[in-house]
Amino acid sequence: MNRVRTRTSKTGEIIAYSEGVIRKNISAVEYCRTSMAAISGCAAGILGLSGTLGFLFYFLSVFVLWLMVLAKSGIQWRKYFINRRNLLTNQFMGGLCTYVLFWTFLYGMVHVY
Amino acid sequence: MTELLIDPDIRVWVFLPIVLITFLVGIVRHYVSILISTQKKAEMTQIMDSQAMIRARLLRENGKYLSAQSFSMRKNFFNNEETGYFKTQKRAPVAQNSSAMLTDMVKGNFINVLPMVVIGGWINWMFSGFVTTKVPFPLTLRFKPMLQRGVELASLDAAWVSSASWYFLNVFGLRSIYTLVLGENNHADQTQAQADAMTGAAMTMPQDPKAAFKAEWEALEITEYNNALKNIDADMLNMANEAIAS
Repeated sequence: MNRVRTRTSKTGEIIAYSEGVIRKNISAVEYCRTSMAAISGCAAGILGLSGTLGFLFYFLSVFVLWLMVLAKSGIQWRKYFINRRNLLTNQFMGGLCTYVLFWTFLYGMVHVY
Repeated sequence: MTELLIDPDIRVWVFLPIVLITFLVGIVRHYVSILISTQKKAEMTQIMDSQAMIRARLLRENGKYLSAQSFSMRKNFFNNEETGYFKTQKRAPVAQNSSAMLTDMVKGNFINVLPMVVIGGWINWMFSGFVTTKVPFPLTLRFKPMLQRGVELASLDAAWVSSASWYFLNVFGLRSIYTLVLGENNHADQTQAQADAMTGAAMTMPQDPKAAFKAEWEALEITEYNNALKNIDADMLNMANEAIAS
């Protein structure tokens, strides 16, 4: 495992990141993502969204979470994450799995019976 | 789509229990595996061997920054015909303690396979034949055998989920929730453990030190010393001159 990861900026500068800390940041975001998927799944289930609307709600929640993370890290997001787009797309399918489970669960609890 | 009226008792006595059982079994599995797993003991000689290998590899990769004498000194330490480390260390091939391996295997099966079979079988037996819930999105007929295991009704819409399939949905969907609750590297999820066993992620020690030593000895033997800093003084002077000139 490399201890340092580098990224070349637009001006040709090489910026070094600490691998361990980057990993820690990403896993922290991962926790947020799982929580967000579970919570938004619950919300969608209780609201009784169905079909395409529910999936759109998931996309919306992922996007909102992305904006929230960016707002939290502020202008200096480059200090904490290497890539801003990966922050949006990482673990998209895993989150969807959790979301669908909670969505189905709450939808069944509230609306089916 | 025709609406189906389901008894609310199914919600309380089938739908909810399956979720709770799946989740709690995962938690119990995590703690049981912590309880019965033993720390793998590494032998002193094994660690020495792997450290020597790492040093030899570093020498091969970064030896160009050393002076010629330092490089050949280090190479000599490893590769000398009479006294070199790789030549003198005679290691018997590591005989994995067979009983230890057996207990490991039994434990692994005990944690991974047994709950899967027992709990899955029990759920199938206990809650068989219920239509529990409906997924809130339309699905094609292709999903029918997946979602309606145990309920073979040709006319039932594919969006309805049977109890056995609801259990499997939970098993696969709760994975990231375990990460949230138990932290990284938990043992609650058996699919992950099986994937690890498949790729052999836990193998860090070289299995046969003799063969590994021989390979490393060969690799080091053919490494030519090539000083990367040969022209460093001239380069530095050039850079300084340019800096002055500009």
